[in-house]
Amino acid sequence: MAAAVSIQGLTKTYLDVWTKTEIRAVDRLNLEVEEGEVFGFLGRNGAGKTTTIKMLLGLIFPTEGTATVLGKPIGDIGVKGQISYLPEEAYFYEGMTGWDMLDFYARLFRISEPERSKRIQKALEDVYLDPSAWRRPLRGYSKGMRQRTGIAQALINDPKLLILDEPTSGLDPIAHAELRDIIANVGRQGKTVFLSSHQLPDVELTCSRVAIIHQGKLRTVGKTAELTSGDTVEIVYKGGDAALLEKIRKVVGAGEQSNGLGRVPGVAPKDTNPIVDLIRGAGAEIVSVAPHKRTLEEVFVDTVMKETGS
Amino acid sequence: MVTLAIAKQTLEDMLRRKILLILLIVAVAMIALGPSVGFLSPRESSAVLRSLGLAVILLAGLLITVLTGIQVIPTEIERRTIYTVLSKPVQRYEFVLGKFLGGLFTVFVMLASMGIVFLGVLRYQEGRFSPDMVMGVIMTFFQMMLLGALAIFFSTFATPVVNFFMSFGLFIVGNLSSVTESLLENKNVATRAVATLVHYAIPNFGNFNIQNKLIHPQVVIKNLNMFIMQNVAYAIIYSAVLLILAIIVFDRREV
Ligand SMILES: Nc1ncnc2c1ncn2[C@@H]1O[C@H](COP(=O)(O)OP(=O)(O)O)[C@@H](O)[C@H]1O
Ligand SMILES: [Mg+2]
Repeated sequence: MAAAVSIQGLTKTYLDVWTKTEIRAVDRLNLEVEEGEVFGFLGRNGAGKTTTIKMLLGLIFPTEGTATVLGKPIGDIGVKGQISYLPEEAYFYEGMTGWDMLDFYARLFRISEPERSKRIQKALEDVYLDPSAWRRPLRGYSKGMRQRTGIAQALINDPKLLILDEPTSGLDPIAHAELRDIIANVGRQGKTVFLSSHQLPDVELTCSRVAIIHQGKLRTVGKTAELTSGDTVEIVYKGGDAALLEKIRKVVGAGEQSNGLGRVPGVAPKDTNPIVDLIRGAGAEIVSVAPHKRTLEEVFVDTVMKETGS
Repeated sequence: MVTLAIAKQTLEDMLRRKILLILLIVAVAMIALGPSVGFLSPRESSAVLRSLGLAVILLAGLLITVLTGIQVIPTEIERRTIYTVLSKPVQRYEFVLGKFLGGLFTVFVMLASMGIVFLGVLRYQEGRFSPDMVMGVIMTFFQMMLLGALAIFFSTFATPVVNFFMSFGLFIVGNLSSVTESLLENKNVATRAVATLVHYAIPNFGNFNIQNKLIHPQVVIKNLNMFIMQNVAYAIIYSAVLLILAIIVFDRREV
């Protein structure tokens, strides 16, 4: 598969005007996003996500390094017709109505009538914006409505690649869940989504692959399923006595028993068979041997903490 | 089409600004109330009415043009609306041109509104139409076009406040073209050098002030049409140069 985004050694340094020191907002970043995947770009506030995105869009210029988007160098006008962007805390013309705003952006994509009106209607429907709001100025929209309009704006050109910068931050739980579903839906349509976020549960649900950046550097990249699948298992058994539990604890250092059920978490592969043998040897019954799954949040915290050295 | 879409958006945005509407209302009120200055003879009153009308239009036009020119681009950056625009298939020169044209349309709408009221008042007072005053308003429009292009150019690197003073300052200096012109003959080399620089580098805003020539018939312009054409061409060419410079600067600008 072709790369939708390919980044090589991308670097951006800012000069801090007060301390006269250099800030490396993005530091020799390498990254490949394949066509058709929903890719999560994770990092704490100030990690360099927005800076990376703005470089990909030609809004700011790299200090070093290069990147291609849909196979063309940064800033290619033809490519800009096939991608779309929802900025972090997107800002729009407050006096415009939702419809007029989409009409304006559709014109920038050089979409002419009657196609334009059709696209506007479809985009507004796709994001479930209440039709009674279509002809009202954005000034009166709630944050969730704005964000929907922002996504509609990003769908108007039927893009191959959507770049969304923290689209769900600052929304209430319902608006948040709805927006997450809209994004997941876009992914199911075969479009490539580059999703910057620190909402880890969302990312875990929607993204097939993720990268974690910290202090401008890439720390981890991989399939979400692989990153979250731990290499330990959890064993649950029925029956057995305190003596069995004691023996198990000697091997793995953990284990508990209550209501007739024993539970042994975090069993390494080499210990799995010996523990199972112990349980069976004591006349107890194996209920399950299940791989232990880490949440993306645990992966993220581990990665970032390891790098910070704290 | 992209440039025009941006121009249209800019015009609509500017027409929603209260400050511009207030300026327009005040100016229109002053023009309309002009005839009630009642202690003059009919001949004097006609000249005063014309001077006052053109002066009010110039002053309001000046404020509207500068306020528009200094902010159309910085507002986009400050409100971060520029991110969505420039991430679309929009070239930076199309953006700058669209913003300039939008500002120009705004100034046009404002000047035309004031001009229509002004001509209406004159027609009512004097019982006849005054085509020469139409020329006066048109000259003001081209003068404002040049000033707008200057403000747009400055706005690609200066903050709106700094730009406000730069644009106004250059407008005043540029209006003293008769002074700098006379200094071109000065005996002192240094004076001559400075005068030459100022005279040729700074837009010659003074040339557009044909009010005096229109209002006081004793000042003779040999060929009025030629004079007007020259000024219009000057405004267009100079504005084009300023816009090219604006595009060159803005092309490298990080937003
Ligand atoms: N225009 C700028 N000037 C100076 N420093 C900046 C500028 N933009 C971003 N930075 C710095 O670069 C770093 C990365 O910022 P950003 O890319 O916005 O992070 P994120 O989007 O991951 O929260 C931060 O330390 C931020 O303060
Ligand atoms: Mg950010």
